[in-house]
Amino acid sequence: MNSRLIVTPNLCTGCRTCELACSFAHPVNGKLGRSRITVLDGGMKDLWVPVVCMQCDDPACVKSCLVDALRLNPETGAVELNQEKCVKCMACVAACPFGCSLFDDQHNMIIKCDLCGGDPVCARFCPSGALTFKPIASAKLKESA
Amino acid sequence: MVHLTINGKVVQATEGEMLLAVIRREGIEIPALCHHEAVEPFGACRLCTVEITKEEWDGWSNFVTSCLYPVEDNLIVSTHSPTVIELRKTLIDLQLARSPNSPEIRQLAEEYGITKTSYEEIPEGDNCILCGLCTRICDQMGFAAISTVGRGHGKKVAPPLDEAPPDCVGCLACALNCPTNVIEFTDEGNIRTIWKKQFELITCTKCGKKTITKDFAKALSESRNIPMSYFEICDECHRKELAQTMGRIVSWSREAVS
Repeated sequence: MNSRLIVTPNLCTGCRTCELACSFAHPVNGKLGRSRITVLDGGMKDLWVPVVCMQCDDPACVKSCLVDALRLNPETGAVELNQEKCVKCMACVAACPFGCSLFDDQHNMIIKCDLCGGDPVCARFCPSGALTFKPIASAKLKESA
Repeated sequence: MVHLTINGKVVQATEGEMLLAVIRREGIEIPALCHHEAVEPFGACRLCTVEITKEEWDGWSNFVTSCLYPVEDNLIVSTHSPTVIELRKTLIDLQLARSPNSPEIRQLAEEYGITKTSYEEIPEGDNCILCGLCTRICDQMGFAAISTVGRGHGKKVAPPLDEAPPDCVGCLACALNCPTNVIEFTDEGNIRTIWKKQFELITCTKCGKKTITKDFAKALSESRNIPMSYFEICDECHRKELAQTMGRIVSWSREAVS
C-alpha cells in the first residue's frame, strides 16, 4: 500500500459526481447506497470541500470498536468495516473526529469509505482532478491498526 | 485448504472455518437466529442444523449445528434434505409455541409452511427465545451488564438482581442485535432508558443532535484512550468543521495568488 486518496479542494467544482459514483459503487440490495463522500461548503464563494475518510494511521474508529469490526486492509491501506461483525453501537460514528464513519439510516447500517477495494470510483470519475488516487513516494507503510 | 460437498457442489474452505460461514458464502440461505459474527458461535437456536455424512460412513448420517461445526475434508453436507427440513420445522414449531406473537418467529414459520403451532401455545407468549446473543455481545464488548438468570422454565435475560445494571452504558448493542427485537428501550429528549436504567445522551453542542450516551463515551475514552472532546459534536458537524477548516486554508492560498 503506497497510494492515497488525495483531496485538492481548490480544484473541486462542487459537481458531486463523486457522491453519485460512490452511491453506485456501494449498492444495498440492488439499490443505490448512501455516499461515503460528501461535498461540503468551504465557507467561501465557489469553494467546495469533498469530505471523505482519511484512512488515519491511528484511527479513532478502530480504537472505538469494541468488537473488532473495523480493521486495516494492509493491501489497500483502507480501514474497512466488516458489516457482519458490526453491532451498530455507533461508537465509531461518535468517535471519528472528522465525522467520516456514517450511519445509513435508510438501510440501518454503519458505512465508511473502503477505497473501493483499491480503486476508488470517486477519484476515477472526478472530472476536475480534485480527487486523485496516486502512489505517494513517502507514504508511510501502516503496519497494523 | 479443505474440500467438501455442499448440496452436491464441491466447495473449498479454510481449515478451522465453521460450516455455516461456508454455506452462507455459497449463497445458500438457512435460518440462524442466535448467530452473530462478532461473538463466538453458540448453537442455541439450533435452526442452522444440517445433515452431514461421509463416503466411509456406510450410509449413516449425523445432524449438527453448522455454526459450531468446523469444516472437514470430504464432508458431504445437505442443508435442505427432507429430514433436515422436518427437523427444522419441529424446532420452529416449538419456537412458535413459546413466542406466538413474535413477528420474526411467525415470518420464519410462514416460510416453512407453519401457520399454527402443533404444540400447546403459551397464549401471552414470551418473544425472548433465550438465545443469549444479547448477553454474549455485552460480554464481548467488555461490559457484561446482563446475563441469563435462573434455569428451566424460569430462565430469562436480566440485569443482576433485576435492578438497573451498574455496568450498563446504554450502547444498545443488545437491543439492536436481538433476533426477535424483544429488548425495549426508549429515547426521549436526551434521556435513554434501557434495562430500567436512565442514561443521558450527548447533545451536539453545535446542532443539538443526540449521539451516544455519556456513559458509553466515558467508557470508550477510558478503555480506548479516545479524548472526550471527540464526542462533543455530532458526525455531521465534524464534517462541516473539517470542510470549513480546509476551506479557510484554501482561501488563504487564493488570496495570496491574486
